[in-house]
Amino acid sequence: MNSAISIRVDNLSKKFTGGLRNSGVQALAGVSFDVQRGEIFGLLGPNGAGKTTLVKILLGSLRPSSGTAFIDDREVSKAAARYRAGFLPENHRFPQYLTGFQMLRVFGGMTGMSGSQIKSRAGTLLELVGMSRWRNTRIKKYSKGMMQRLGLAQALINDPDIVFLDEPTDGVDPVGRREIRDILKNIKKQGRTVFLNSHLLSEVEATCDRVAVLDKGKLIKVGPASGLIGVKPTYNVAVVSLSDEVQSAVRQFDSEAGIDGDKISISMDKPARINDLIDLLRSHQVQIISVVPQKQSLEDSFMQLIQGERAGGQHE
Amino acid sequence: MNKFLAILYDSYLEIKDRKIFYLYLAVTLIMILIFSLLPGSLNINGEHIMDSGLIDQATIDRVVAGFFDQFFGFMIFIMVFGTAGLLPSYLSKGRVELVVSKPIERFRLILMKFISIYLVSCLILIVTTSLIWLAMSLRLGSITTNFFYGLLLALVQFFIVYAIIFILGLLFNSGAGAIIGYFILRVGSDLLSHREVVYDFLGESVWKFILDTAYNILPKLGEMSDNYNSLMRGRGLGDSYALWSSLLFGGTMILLGLIYFNRKDY
Repeated sequence: MNSAISIRVDNLSKKFTGGLRNSGVQALAGVSFDVQRGEIFGLLGPNGAGKTTLVKILLGSLRPSSGTAFIDDREVSKAAARYRAGFLPENHRFPQYLTGFQMLRVFGGMTGMSGSQIKSRAGTLLELVGMSRWRNTRIKKYSKGMMQRLGLAQALINDPDIVFLDEPTDGVDPVGRREIRDILKNIKKQGRTVFLNSHLLSEVEATCDRVAVLDKGKLIKVGPASGLIGVKPTYNVAVVSLSDEVQSAVRQFDSEAGIDGDKISISMDKPARINDLIDLLRSHQVQIISVVPQKQSLEDSFMQLIQGERAGGQHE
Repeated sequence: MNKFLAILYDSYLEIKDRKIFYLYLAVTLIMILIFSLLPGSLNINGEHIMDSGLIDQATIDRVVAGFFDQFFGFMIFIMVFGTAGLLPSYLSKGRVELVVSKPIERFRLILMKFISIYLVSCLILIVTTSLIWLAMSLRLGSITTNFFYGLLLALVQFFIVYAIIFILGLLFNSGAGAIIGYFILRVGSDLLSHREVVYDFLGESVWKFILDTAYNILPKLGEMSDNYNSLMRGRGLGDSYALWSSLLFGGTMILLGLIYFNRKDY
């Protein structure tokens, strides 16, 4: 194992067995990837893609059907793998009878911290997430956003090297989201690894260094978040009119070019090729009104990726 | 140790938060009040009950034993309701993921949870019954220390009861399911203790063997009442078969619970 690798997922599969009439569900099918130490790694995928199953396996809630995973070189089925890990689960139900401070005390204690260690760290963390005022208020009186903030403090109570966050900004207002993003970036600056599971693509785009995309239990893509965005820049070219001859020439230039009336929409691997298109149009005396580059959003890329994968799967 | 203390602290706060905690308090206060407000009937012909010569220490012991034999049973009955929901709540969706993500081996985690709930429940049982015993003793003017043997047996009996609740709570993941399952088992084992009644109808059939086996395997909580009486009247434990066979059953339930939890996906 490489010490630069914080999390290693190796050919991980999970099948939930069904009843007598049900063949079961393949939640994960041979997923493999590495998470580098100190990076913010995002896990993306539509509902039912297997994201939560993967996180649950990494954190000991589920046992894999086959394959292995390691946290800090320790196999995840061993409790020791989670010594230096913190976790904020999705749809958590924190004990309502505890106050904010008591919760940090209980969950900090469960990681082996002493009372005095928890006391000093809890103060700092509650300050960090803006919950100092409510430290002695029972959780049942907290709003969803307050619980997320407390959950984040709980995930950091043992000063972890790796933090797993499942939908950390769920229920948090825009200001709070921004604050949580800042906290995540701050965590990264401290050299910690963050494993972020989120359905908010903008959040992943703004926060993550690398992203893995899951669909139907399979890993579709893993790579830099920026690599998913604008891999093929798209340009919208507006012209005065397009004759049939020019349309045919444009289609010869790029068979996938979209032509809608007087507008051409074209994606290209090399941005410089837009000049060739402009030359082509000018050679046919076409008057160009505008050339507008379209930054492909992560959402667009994500949808393309998922749809492409599903279409590929159907052809197979 | 820090891990166990954290789980113990959590269990204490959860039990304290439950409404049934006030029932323990109310029962204790009412009983203390009853004994405190008992009229002078404990005097006979103007003499204290113990000085009258009409009632001896053995009679007092019998009264105390008779009372606590029933009262321990009543407290354990309430505690079934007070503790049945604790484990299912601990393992509820949204909480269990966080709990098992902590660096504690699963079998240790659930064992520590079992012990912590048991210890807090024992503390409640010790405090409530001891306060009532003290009020009763002061009123009677006689300290019957045999009560503590009864208390010890009550703690052992609650261990067996909670072991059953524990495994049922794990299996059903529901407090109500654990309570229903416990009472079905309890009624079943009480019926089996009278199985001789149907022997004449069964003859030498295989059913007799099945009933005897079931009786020997299942806990015999109802039959432990005789042990209470005998202990608190200073006559020793008496027939201990019900006790140790029930303890064996409780221990087996805990072991099965640990294995089940260790393998379960959450």
